[in-house]
Amino acid sequence: MIEREILELDVLFVGAGPASLAGAIHLQRLLRKSGQDASVGVLEKAGEVGAHSLSGAIVDPRALKELFPDKSVQDFPFEAEVSEEHLYYLTESRKIPFPFVPPSMSHHGCYVASLGKLTRWLGEACEKDGVDIFCGFAGTELIYDGDQIIGVRTGDRGIDKKGTKKQHFEPGADIHAKVVVLGEGTRGSLTKNFLHKHSLMKERNPQVWAVGVKELWQMPAGTVQPGFVAHTMGFPLGHDVFGGAFLYGMKNDIWDLGLVVGLDYKNPGVDSHHELQRLKTHPWIRSLLEGGKMVAYGAKSLPEGGWYSIPKLSVSGAMLIGDSAGFMNGQRLKGIHLAMKSGMLAAETITEAITENNFIETKLRDYEDRVKSSWIRDELWKVRNFHQGFDHGLIGGLTNAGIGLLTGGLGWGFKERLTSIAGHIRMEKGMKKDRYKDLQFDGKYLFDKVTDVYHSATAHEEDQVPHLHVNEPDICITKCVEEYGNPCKNFCPADVYEMVPDGDNQRLQINFSNCVHCKTCDIMDPYQIIDWVPPEGGDGPVWINL
Amino acid sequence: MKIAVLVKQVIGSESALEISDDNTWVKEENASFVMNPPDNYALEEALIIKEKIGEGEVVIVSQGPDRVQKVIREALAKGADRGIHIEENGHVETDPLSIAKSLVAAIKDENFDLILSGLQSDDTGMGQTGVLIGEFLGMSTATLAIETDIDKEKIRVKRELESGWFQWVTLGAPSSISIQSGINQPRYPSLKGIMGAKKKEIKVVQSHKAEKKQSMEKVFVPQTSKETEIIDTDLNSTVDRIVEILKLEVKVF
Amino acid sequence: MINILVVVEDNRGSMHRMSKEAIAGAQKIGGSITALVIGDNADTISNELSSIAIEKTLVVKHELVSSYNPDGYTEIVTQVIESTSPDMLVIGHTYQTRDFMPRVSARIDIPFIPDIIEVEQDIYTKQVLNSKLNSSVSSLSDMKILSFQSACFSAEDILTGRSSSQNFDVDLDPSIVRSISEEPFQESAAEVDLESAELIVSVGRGIEKEDNIPIAFTLAEVLGAEVSASRPVIDSGWLPSFRQIGSSGSAVSPKLYFSLGISGAIQHVVGMKGSKNIIAVNKDPDAPIFEIADYAVVGDLLEIVPKLIEALKTEKDL
Repeated sequence: MIEREILELDVLFVGAGPASLAGAIHLQRLLRKSGQDASVGVLEKAGEVGAHSLSGAIVDPRALKELFPDKSVQDFPFEAEVSEEHLYYLTESRKIPFPFVPPSMSHHGCYVASLGKLTRWLGEACEKDGVDIFCGFAGTELIYDGDQIIGVRTGDRGIDKKGTKKQHFEPGADIHAKVVVLGEGTRGSLTKNFLHKHSLMKERNPQVWAVGVKELWQMPAGTVQPGFVAHTMGFPLGHDVFGGAFLYGMKNDIWDLGLVVGLDYKNPGVDSHHELQRLKTHPWIRSLLEGGKMVAYGAKSLPEGGWYSIPKLSVSGAMLIGDSAGFMNGQRLKGIHLAMKSGMLAAETITEAITENNFIETKLRDYEDRVKSSWIRDELWKVRNFHQGFDHGLIGGLTNAGIGLLTGGLGWGFKERLTSIAGHIRMEKGMKKDRYKDLQFDGKYLFDKVTDVYHSATAHEEDQVPHLHVNEPDICITKCVEEYGNPCKNFCPADVYEMVPDGDNQRLQINFSNCVHCKTCDIMDPYQIIDWVPPEGGDGPVWINL
Repeated sequence: MKIAVLVKQVIGSESALEISDDNTWVKEENASFVMNPPDNYALEEALIIKEKIGEGEVVIVSQGPDRVQKVIREALAKGADRGIHIEENGHVETDPLSIAKSLVAAIKDENFDLILSGLQSDDTGMGQTGVLIGEFLGMSTATLAIETDIDKEKIRVKRELESGWFQWVTLGAPSSISIQSGINQPRYPSLKGIMGAKKKEIKVVQSHKAEKKQSMEKVFVPQTSKETEIIDTDLNSTVDRIVEILKLEVKVF
Repeated sequence: MINILVVVEDNRGSMHRMSKEAIAGAQKIGGSITALVIGDNADTISNELSSIAIEKTLVVKHELVSSYNPDGYTEIVTQVIESTSPDMLVIGHTYQTRDFMPRVSARIDIPFIPDIIEVEQDIYTKQVLNSKLNSSVSSLSDMKILSFQSACFSAEDILTGRSSSQNFDVDLDPSIVRSISEEPFQESAAEVDLESAELIVSVGRGIEKEDNIPIAFTLAEVLGAEVSASRPVIDSGWLPSFRQIGSSGSAVSPKLYFSLGISGAIQHVVGMKGSKNIIAVNKDPDAPIFEIADYAVVGDLLEIVPKLIEALKTEKDL
């Protein structure tokens, strides 16, 4: 009989990201105002708040201003206000500016930021408000009482790689809560099962994803303008792979350089890390990095599906916020403000639920109504068909987006809703063009994956069962090797998956310790046999300002 | 029994290091900080001893800027009773004598029965603080304890000697002991521990400025100014050359 | 001419190798060298010292230090310092040194600079941050107290000569001794201590399969070395994780790091690049490890190692 620690809370947010933290802060305020008291906790799998947070990012301060009406923008932990912005089409050697930046894609009035820094700042505000943030605890299972969710179970700690308990083994704890708010971020592991179990994606477009890979570059003093923003299309992705690059100027002469790659490409050989290295071969990019040193690397997936990929947002005892729900504006490439707002709206529903002591679905549904009548909906509605247009390549996508600007978001000018299919289904079998045969890593500006991973400061307790569950590993050496050439070794930006010789054969080696928790494998595996589950609490990357 | 655990906050070993502009240390802005892993073993041992005795208190002592409160809280979440934060915001201190004197000033009136520390810090690695403090406070000392047998009546530790030798030592109270890593398996903090840590006391005192006795002038990447000799020849010549290197240049035998 | 006091350690009846290295170091630094030997075996050890080119040996025998204890040693060394006023005290950085030298340092308020890997006039090099970086340390007191890491100096470089010894009387009160030691005993360590190993043979993916691992152990045995491995070997389960070198394993800086089939990924290299002599064997002439190796052996380890083992055995028999 395992003795688990049992903790009783009123509200539990899973994931200490901007959605949960904004939600928790707002909730505490609302409760205080209504004279109520409730215990609010946040569960975070990283060892510290912000360690697993990664984004570009350019933040629309709207939600922060609502959350902190008494603060001025100077108080927020931003790098700089966007001072100049550029949109380029890149060829292998040239950069062609777009003639103008459509106002809805402009970043005017927004701020270059590090999500890690922002999350840490929100975390401190949260703790000051009396919210307990439990770092180093991964939520591994939802606890049910019949159909109602009544809490979250955390992962066991102290199990060795063979599955046996170590001396300091501790079973996971059961946290009971009247309402569980899932703010796990992109492709949350509890969320994935939650959506499936309750059929919350019924009648929705499947979610489509992208992966963002980035490097931070420390440049010589005075060479980086904080607030500089550039986005590019074209090289290196070309017209058949969705995505583009971003270059943001941060404080202290740091270039924030990254690439977003849609996880719905056809060529199984596409490797987002390698694409980032190719990007750096462009003469303009290369010249900007001259004399600099790469100091950090990271990757994270992001939900690109938009409005029609957002699931039903609540069941009895649980709600979805932030990226877990898919609140991301793919056209503006912004989601942090939407995540925060969703957390705040959830807090409003929860406050009422606490007053009425009613946490069943009919009550929590109120959150979805709030979202539908908020600026989240206003914003996402206009770009509801954005990503789908790119199913027809870059020109198609841009055309669709352009027309969308004029028609308030209609697909191809007339369709209310464009459907889409899941990205991994698009991957085509058979050998494809090698996009990287001319790519050489010089160790100075272009790095191999293993070297970049080192700069993600990622670490895991070595002696544990790998947290990447491949449900039918035989497929790797029989079907997949023939059909797709084991794309896992390409789509994983952290060198987790490797096919290694095994006598006369090969086998799949999982270097789980490199995992940066981006969830790309769970998303992109063509056979959908990879299940990402949280490793032991505290493990994973240690990102500071990513 | 009143037990102090000296805990240092150090840069995490996974952080890629960047030397500061004046070359005297590494940049802290983009580094992650953790409890010095050897101190974690000392903390665990202190908690085990307190649990074995059934009463007493475990007090965490840490010197540094505000961020060290995080490791103090971590220790409190694991079961320590209270903390003493010696506030020091200056450049990282690299002189063990100065550090020890500052710690002594903060704790001498506490009259600890036992002071436990990790064998050395993962940053400067001078490996002296516990013993220096023991001397300043007139305590008995021992280092590299790989096992403890401590209760209200006795202080007995198994010291690790080199080459697989060990030795039990009985010490007079009070005693300052440094703990060998691997002595135990440090526990995880529980949820309730984390919640309870917020309510435990962390007393903040100012650091005591002592005259600096040694100085770390600069840090630098170890020079690989070596010239690499390439040996790429037939099997026999290769083996002969290696034997020669081992014998004459590395002097293995 | 400066006066250097070398505190010599008794290693079960003979002079500790690291004390020999400390003497070699003192001779390199240059000065009038006095050795100090303490304990029941002091006479035997001072005999060894009589054929070394130092000024003299001070012998301290007292019932309170018939075997080592930190209180007695601290008091004795303090009294010798006060009586002879050396400009410098040098000692090997052993477990024993770590145990009592800080006591001396605190007692006389002179900084103890430990685990030095290089001496350049008044600047001492010490590794920091798990040997990822080096530092230059200086002592701000006139008298220097230094301990040397293993192989900072070489015992082979000792200059022979003739020296005399004399007894040094100490004044010890029994009440100062507050630790009673029992007999030392041996136990096989559950884990190997890579960090204090002088010689290491390290295995990488180039070993190809688990069946080949024994040749690395045989080579290690012939050399008197410990065996370690890079990450992929540990991940494949061919060796236990306590043998791992690298950013998620141990960091080492032995006298010899002999790598077999290790490519030299940065995660591994940060754990061993401080090694004093690096011999790397790899089939790939572009392996990154060759950038930090002293000796880059391009070849097939599976051919080279067995032949090397035979050659070394022959050499040792000579």
